[in-house]
Amino acid sequence: MSRLALMIDLERCIGCKSCEVACKQEHGLGPGEYRNKVVWLGDATQPALDFLTVSCQHCDRPACLRACPVNPKAITKDPATGIVRVDEDRCTGCGECVIACPYGAMGYDAVDHHAVKCDLCTDRREKGAPTTACASVCPGHAITFGERAQMVAEAEADGRTVRDHDHFLLAPANVYLDRLPRENGIGNADTLADRQPPAFMDADFAKRALDGAADFPYRLPREDREADRVVPGGCNICFNCCSTKFHFKGDKLVRVTGNDEDPVLKGKVCPKSQMTLQLYHNDKRLTQPLKRVGERGEGKFEPISWDQALDEIAGRLEKVRADYGPEALALYVGTRTGIVTRNAYAHLFSQMWGTPNIEGTDPFCAAGKNLSYTITQGTVGSGNSYTPGDLGSAEMYLYVGDNQGETRPVYFGMINDWRIRNKAKMVVVDPRLTVTASKADRWLAIRSGTDMALALAMAHHILSNDLHDKKFCENWVLGWERWRDEIFAHGYTPEWAEPITSIPAGEIRRLAEEVAGADGCVIFASRGINQHTTSVQTNRALMFLAAITGNWGRKGGAFFNMTAGVPIAPSAPKDRQGKYDRPMIRKSPVGWTDAMRIGKPYPLKAMIACNNPLAQWPGQEEAREALKALDLLVHIELFPNETTAFADYVLPAAAGIEKGEIGRSNDDRRIVWIDRMIDPPGEAKPDGWIWIELGKRFGYEDVLKERYKDSAVFWDEVCIDNVHLRGCTQRRLHSVPYRWVRFPVASEDAPEQETLYLEGTTASGAPEGKRFPTPSGKLEFWTEALEAKFAILGLTAAPVFYSEREQLIDLPYVRLTCGDDADGVLSPFGKVPTIATPGEIVQPGSDSPGARLRAEGFDTELVTGRPPAPHFHSWTHYFWQAQEMWPDLYVQIHPDRAKARGIADGARVKVETAHGAIEAVAWLHAGIRPTAVFIPIGWGEKQPFNPWRSVNFLTDKTQRCPLSDQTNLKTLLCRISPA
Amino acid sequence: MNVRSLNGAGFLHMRRPDIGNRVLIGMVAAIVIALLLYFLLLPLMPQALRTPGSPVLYLIGALGACLLLVSMAFVLAKRTGRGGPPPAWFVAHVVASSLGTVLVAIHSAGYLRRPPALLFLALLGLILLGVWGRVWLSRRISATFGTKHGHFAALAEDKRAKLSVLIARKVEILRALDPGAAEGTFSLTLAHWLRRPRLSARYARLVREESGLIGTRAMVPAQQAYWRAAHLALAYTFVAGLVIHVVTVTFFAGYVADGGEITWWHLAAW
Repeated sequence: MSRLALMIDLERCIGCKSCEVACKQEHGLGPGEYRNKVVWLGDATQPALDFLTVSCQHCDRPACLRACPVNPKAITKDPATGIVRVDEDRCTGCGECVIACPYGAMGYDAVDHHAVKCDLCTDRREKGAPTTACASVCPGHAITFGERAQMVAEAEADGRTVRDHDHFLLAPANVYLDRLPRENGIGNADTLADRQPPAFMDADFAKRALDGAADFPYRLPREDREADRVVPGGCNICFNCCSTKFHFKGDKLVRVTGNDEDPVLKGKVCPKSQMTLQLYHNDKRLTQPLKRVGERGEGKFEPISWDQALDEIAGRLEKVRADYGPEALALYVGTRTGIVTRNAYAHLFSQMWGTPNIEGTDPFCAAGKNLSYTITQGTVGSGNSYTPGDLGSAEMYLYVGDNQGETRPVYFGMINDWRIRNKAKMVVVDPRLTVTASKADRWLAIRSGTDMALALAMAHHILSNDLHDKKFCENWVLGWERWRDEIFAHGYTPEWAEPITSIPAGEIRRLAEEVAGADGCVIFASRGINQHTTSVQTNRALMFLAAITGNWGRKGGAFFNMTAGVPIAPSAPKDRQGKYDRPMIRKSPVGWTDAMRIGKPYPLKAMIACNNPLAQWPGQEEAREALKALDLLVHIELFPNETTAFADYVLPAAAGIEKGEIGRSNDDRRIVWIDRMIDPPGEAKPDGWIWIELGKRFGYEDVLKERYKDSAVFWDEVCIDNVHLRGCTQRRLHSVPYRWVRFPVASEDAPEQETLYLEGTTASGAPEGKRFPTPSGKLEFWTEALEAKFAILGLTAAPVFYSEREQLIDLPYVRLTCGDDADGVLSPFGKVPTIATPGEIVQPGSDSPGARLRAEGFDTELVTGRPPAPHFHSWTHYFWQAQEMWPDLYVQIHPDRAKARGIADGARVKVETAHGAIEAVAWLHAGIRPTAVFIPIGWGEKQPFNPWRSVNFLTDKTQRCPLSDQTNLKTLLCRISPA
Repeated sequence: MNVRSLNGAGFLHMRRPDIGNRVLIGMVAAIVIALLLYFLLLPLMPQALRTPGSPVLYLIGALGACLLLVSMAFVLAKRTGRGGPPPAWFVAHVVASSLGTVLVAIHSAGYLRRPPALLFLALLGLILLGVWGRVWLSRRISATFGTKHGHFAALAEDKRAKLSVLIARKVEILRALDPGAAEGTFSLTLAHWLRRPRLSARYARLVREESGLIGTRAMVPAQQAYWRAAHLALAYTFVAGLVIHVVTVTFFAGYVADGGEITWWHLAAW
């Protein structure tokens, strides 16, 4: 046998650390124990972001082996395969091998005091596994295991450069493929030279918080973790919605892996999915109903029975209804609870109770794009798929405000793989050099909140030079000429956009030509576009850009703003629906806070919250005041958090395989079914059980039936009762070893569709012959009906440029014409009658909010957003390994700006906006606009390992999109100083 | 000692012999408290326990020394491959040297201002260094993983040339020192030192040069790089001191007694 090794492709590695999670699961490693590690490397002087996967190099002259003082050695080298292994039973833990390895690839178990190291999963492979744990899961397809000579030959045949890192003549076996050269310099020089990881990532004080944190089954011998059965399912955490396999030893879950039988994901899986093992075995979970005995926020509770909790809650809800009407109850049912809960169980409850005030996290995440898709295409989401023939066949990928590499790492791994294989182009427009941007041919550091200007200017260049797809426009777009005329009339040229976006006009023209000229361009957008007061108009401008270049309803061309949602929309019988007289107070839950605090436009007195509003809602000071003012706050949750402390009753919930549900809606229209496999911890209950039991107290059991506690029954009988989902039955979901079906499927035997809206097809649920499910059957840019609706909210159907009110330069912004306490107008876009606030576009002046803030020293652009792949909102902050990877709330700041303020890498800093202040640690990163800082979401002050105040103490609930009620979370002015 | 444990899931399993951090700290704390109590109560103890060199203290000292020599046995077991698994010997060395230290302290009869007290101080130093290394430095050792990322980038080419020459010299010596060995996986053992001390010394020098060229110790914090060396140096200093002590009390008993009564077994009273 020839030498075995890992081949690590630096161009494909996306730094997600999924390999670390796989390794720790495979080998039962606890905090601080490493056999592999992905090191993030930046450069203080130039924009750069690279990832280095470190693991044993299996050297021909292993320095570790020679340094081992034990005789015979505790470290051995297999002469046939070259694998270097440590015999833990002979190791005395002196640490000499750790010092000797010049690659820093020798691990150490600081609890049991011995060396640990990668042995290329010898034990795993001896049991028949074809590859190593790390290679099996790698979302980026960056790690390959095999015979060294063969891998090198194949890489060189592909024209790849094998990195020479044998500086010490140790003859390392592992192979590193260098980055590919690109225009903006990334990858041209040695991408690992003079690079440093962010200081805070290995801060000792943060790691100490993890002492003793490893729950079952980590740190157990292999035989105690060896599974005897495997059940397919999926991850319930994020929008990548990985298909997974759950491995059991007896009735104990011992492991979570990707599903290698999945034809799309092929076993690749993100770190979070694997870390759900730390969700299902976690001593921090809520396990019994609690009743508050202290002051709100104090966190003092007594345990009570379910019957007592539900009876008392029902009694207090009745009183609220009697005193204030049914609308006085609000339900905040976010995505943590699962789509089945949000769209079905809780939705039916709200219908029967009779309150319009039910909402989830959409207005903070995706409401703008959902509305944009709906009015343009007739339904939410792209019709394209993650297949080689569809998205894999694009010639160009343009990401605008979408950091897919960190938010949906497995999908991005596929896109990046196709990019490399097909030599496709990738351009990223983002204020930060994100993981996604680090893989692009070009990174355009746009001013946050000005993407609409970029899209309009690109469209101007395309339309004025006849670069658009005339046939598609003529046949399939309604009102495109009107939009074109508006663009020309406003003079939205690249030169106009240059000072606004800070992207040179020449670059805008070039980008426009590339998009128009590509045989298939996928324009990705996400929260960077959605989380603005411009949410709908920017999304629409980008959609229009895709459409006029023919990148709609074709393979390899799309506008792609994340998930298509899952069209679960059951309805209680009309005669069983509660009656309400007053409209929904606002689409956004932050629009409810005046109703809670001061009772206007009408009182909200009770709320059942299934997420964590006291970390998520923009404008935390007011959010807390609002929740304090409630007569009743019920919190249904997995872990105690900031909201829990304010609740009157806390109800412990179940998740994923503890209850049976579908995974999150995801980019690829896959509905992934997750069976109920284990019992929830303690007395925790599935959300469906809670809603049904609460419903019984009000006589709703004829609709929320007892047997619907079985989520699989509920799914078949209630959830899929529509043309899009009818074929997605339990039987069909269970007929495939990967447990998913791509919708729409109108019947059980209907084939899945790779690409929707192709020419000559009829859209799901639309009248025959209608390619798109709009009234006209075409994409709708502008119609008189649309114009009338937009006018109600103070805007026009053809997007007119505006930005955010807190900017470093004077730009037009939208001002809402009244507060949330006012009656406003009825939204023309609401699914239920909903109060909306019209806006007006205001031209900046010397007394505009931005100018005033700048005068007060708020001189930096604050961008908030998702942290790297291992974290997702607050859940993962209860997983020890996610904390090990990314412990502290950080603020990315350009080194020049940091230097000017006397801030060192890793130093504690204070960040202030006009709305509040928090502290975080500094991450000096040259890959960010010099005028901007970035702070991630998800941290909270009640978290167990590394608590920090939520970034939403800095955000502002009053900056919202008039059309979608989406909050601006991406462009605020702040000032930053050493703490 | 965490030899067998029952985890939360009810699995019973054997583990590699090791002394956990809590046990180690507890053991040291117990020793310190016991010794403090002992010294506090010493004035109340029988005369035989307060007289240095009394037969009972002599025996206690001899027993303590034997226990302390278990550490030497650990070194031999580790480096010769004889006597069983090195981790078990490591545990034995910790337990025996801890007990030995207690006995040596008792043996001193509280006379801590005389030169032999230096041995006791050395012992305390060894214990503190050992515990610090095992309990606190372990975390630092663990945190070394992934910190040498700079070595994946291009380094000065002349270093490679120098290493090449050095390796060639090692190979040349190895032909005479251990003809069957491969340089890439070879390290000196006690047997090499006993059989070919000069060649071994030359080889060891080249190993040090190679390590210096690579700069491995310079890549980690000094306390991590030199902790073990300091522990070993202190241990060997202690052994040397112990030998001197044994020789002086055995052959120079008169000098040690300094005109007083010689109460211990000795061969000469010079």
